[in-house]
Amino acid sequence: MNARVARIAAPLAVGLLFVLGWDLLVRLERMPSYVLPGPLLVAETLWRDGPSLLGSLLVTLRITLAALAAAVVLGGALAILFTQSRLLELSLFPYAVILQVTPIVAIAPLIIIWLKDRVFLSLLVCAWIVAFFPIVANTSLGLNSADRNLVDLFRLYGASRWQMLRYLRLPTALPYFLTGLRISGGLALIGAVVAEFVAGTGGTDTGLASRILEAGYRLQMPRLFAALLLLAATGIAIFAVLSWLSQRLISHWHESVLPPEE
Amino acid sequence: MAGGRGDAPIIALDGVGKRFRSGVEALAGIDLAIPAGGFVSLLGPSGCGKSTLLRIIAGLIPPTSGRLVRGASDLSGRLGFVFQEATLMPWATVWQNVYLPLRLAGKRRDAVAARIAETLASLGLAGFEQAYPRELSGGMRMRVSIARALVTEPLLLLLDEPFAALDEFTRFRLNEDLLRLWQRHHWTVVFVTHSVFESVFLSSRILVMTPRPGRILADLPIDLPYPRDGALRTAPHYTEQCRRISGLLSEAMA
Repeated sequence: MNARVARIAAPLAVGLLFVLGWDLLVRLERMPSYVLPGPLLVAETLWRDGPSLLGSLLVTLRITLAALAAAVVLGGALAILFTQSRLLELSLFPYAVILQVTPIVAIAPLIIIWLKDRVFLSLLVCAWIVAFFPIVANTSLGLNSADRNLVDLFRLYGASRWQMLRYLRLPTALPYFLTGLRISGGLALIGAVVAEFVAGTGGTDTGLASRILEAGYRLQMPRLFAALLLLAATGIAIFAVLSWLSQRLISHWHESVLPPEE
Repeated sequence: MAGGRGDAPIIALDGVGKRFRSGVEALAGIDLAIPAGGFVSLLGPSGCGKSTLLRIIAGLIPPTSGRLVRGASDLSGRLGFVFQEATLMPWATVWQNVYLPLRLAGKRRDAVAARIAETLASLGLAGFEQAYPRELSGGMRMRVSIARALVTEPLLLLLDEPFAALDEFTRFRLNEDLLRLWQRHHWTVVFVTHSVFESVFLSSRILVMTPRPGRILADLPIDLPYPRDGALRTAPHYTEQCRRISGLLSEAMA
């Protein structure tokens, strides 16, 4: 089979089988919809509640994208600072690791209490904490991966620190940064959802996570599933957009995105 | 010495030694004067410290003993270095790669476009300006690397086994092209190689080095007249020189 067809057809077939199995299970076992709604019912709910869920999705998406943007700016800046000063890297990197390894659900309540009047900001901070580390770690690695001989060549021609960064380290780091970005994109969404979960329902401008919680409390499983489906689709879309961006930015030179030899 | 020609050294080494932090002694007691306009080869077996010596001459690493004496001409920005690999920026086109040293010197694109075009043409790279390094063969990449070193119109050109990774046909062609350009511009060349044939073909002078710690065993002028071309490779006096130097080299290894 053609590789291109397989790439689309194979996962599609798996998905189809899964949905069929799901439907069969619900029908044969006569599952009540508050335990496991069938796929048709979920689709119906998605259609009916779609507009209202989309509004909530937009709230979550705003937090996600703002957190991702903050992760790019602050994470990138931190990585650049690290390469400029070894002392700074030695002093700060452990704390970046601590932030990374501390479970967000454990710190989220604190952040939400500290920033209690600024809900958006508190959720943004939580999502940022989850998202920024891959960008810092990958970009740092990339900035330090410049070809040793090229570094020598730049020194030989009397390159300034800025020129070394601008013309050598940053281009070298770009593919690494993009890898970090793709990981962070997914993490920002997870961070936003977790933060919303911890913040709980309340207020009118609630994100998708609060809708999931609310639906759970009310045993509205079809809506819960519909919201989950939207969330998953959003995650996939973010990943796809970032992958496309990577492809666009480095496809003309980087090995990882070259087409196979013909 | 305004012209930088003649016998006055462009750069000299005075008792230079290098011991790495690991304790390995790479070079010991190197005394050497490189005359302006010469084509000097450092010939020796792998690991004899000839690349280290080249890096010291370039000022990339400091010697642990002895000193580097610069001649009267100011070499800053007028030094070209060609590595064993082409060492190009993979994200940049051929044109951008060759523009790099000028860009680092703060030269504007339009001010140097003509010089870049000329340099590219002299290395047979016209028409490849917009190609990326991955689209080129090993030999073409090395041509770009040499073009990058020549575009600054260097006074001193340092080459570290630049053709070692290339096939023989490509190496011969590049040898001849390099000689042709050297005769036109007369930069001073220090060329590191482990090939006897290559060094005799190119050089006006060969320094034979001993294995670690590297010392200079012999300093031999090569009195084959320039211009030299492919026909020389089969000439008896050429092979005679090669035989003589091969003999010295095996003596160095012993």
